[in-house]
Amino acid sequence: MEKKRILEEGLLEQYLSGELSPELHRIVEEALHQNSEVREHFDLLEADFERMGMEQAVVPPAQIKKALVKSLEKKSMVRIDRTPLWIAASMAILFGIATLWMFTKWQNAAGNLKVLQEQTAELQERMYTIENNYLQTSLQLRNINNPNVVPLVLYGNQKSPNAKVVAYMDHKRKAVIVNPQGLPVLPTTKTYQMWSDVDGEMIDMGILSPDEELVTLKYIDKAESLNITIEPAGGNDHPTVEELISFVLL
Amino acid sequence: MKTDFGDIQLINRLSEGDKSALYQLYDKYSGALYGVILRMCRNETDAQDLLQETFVKIWLKIDSYDASKGRFYTWAYRIARNTTLNSLRNRSELIQNEDLSVYDTKAEIKTGQENVLLKGSLKKLEPHHQKAIALVYYRGYTHKEAHEVMGVPLGTFKSYIRQALIQLRKSYANEMLWLWCIFEIMV
Repeated sequence: MEKKRILEEGLLEQYLSGELSPELHRIVEEALHQNSEVREHFDLLEADFERMGMEQAVVPPAQIKKALVKSLEKKSMVRIDRTPLWIAASMAILFGIATLWMFTKWQNAAGNLKVLQEQTAELQERMYTIENNYLQTSLQLRNINNPNVVPLVLYGNQKSPNAKVVAYMDHKRKAVIVNPQGLPVLPTTKTYQMWSDVDGEMIDMGILSPDEELVTLKYIDKAESLNITIEPAGGNDHPTVEELISFVLL
Repeated sequence: MKTDFGDIQLINRLSEGDKSALYQLYDKYSGALYGVILRMCRNETDAQDLLQETFVKIWLKIDSYDASKGRFYTWAYRIARNTTLNSLRNRSELIQNEDLSVYDTKAEIKTGQENVLLKGSLKKLEPHHQKAIALVYYRGYTHKEAHEVMGVPLGTFKSYIRQALIQLRKSYANEMLWLWCIFEIMV
């Protein structure tokens, strides 16, 4: 369509003299670049135009060339060499791109650093927790694993045949540590409680929860046996003897 | 575009700052460009200054010339044309009329005046073709201005230009044929 328009509307003749609007100038230049037929037309037109120019030539007076030579020889007539400008412009563009790239990298690095800091803080926290657990476990192990400790196993009676509790008695340090994980889970309204029998009187040692691994209870002097009962949640002041599920003599 | 190989070498040298290349281009094209400028401004002193100014601009702007877009002569012609038109506008060619609008007062072409300096194949064209070519390419008129001067519709004026150029091409082809015949006879 552009080819037809360019040829029929005489746009090439107007392009030749440089009178086209910028938009039409661009259209014609694109057509010249892309369409061989338009280009051939223009080649012929230019050849005729130059021939016509030569035919209509008027020899200028010789002094014009002398004046031209003289004016160009002047120091002030230095042609602006645009190459350095292009180089400067290119350098500026490169610098801009490099700056943008570095800014993006910096932003990424800042983001990564923040994530890294968060991960480090989380790791530190976990390490602190693990260290605490380790210290606590080591302490418990030390408390259990020494020659003064007597391990006692409390098996469940007919009320709780699957129950099994291990109690570690250290008479020298006067300490009792119990592993209650072998106790069956109770309803939330109930709890296990451990008692020491001293001269026929049951003395409270503390509450046991199957969720815990090792529980430190009160050591009662002169205890003759250890007893476990099921009591209301929160524990009881006196044992419910009917709910005794296990005991062991000392 | 078919720019002459010799011209391309001169233009390359000119781009590198070789002034002698400019003087060689001057020797080749100054006549054609002076013919355009002189016919446009109708004043020899002004035309001589404008020709010098045109070549100074060629020297300064040669880096903007792109041989793939057209011949050197076409590019130089546009510089000469625009330099002359600017000069004419600046030399009291612009006046204000009563309603304060500004318009270009190109001198009206008197019948025959535009042909005075035309010669060669152009003179063999029909008068309306001669006038159309003269107005556009040797007086600096745009197509839109020129069709009003000639008093014909724009489409008709464009066809005048196209027909005139076709006639010129035929004329140049005939000239070449004659030259070839003469050359053969001489050989």
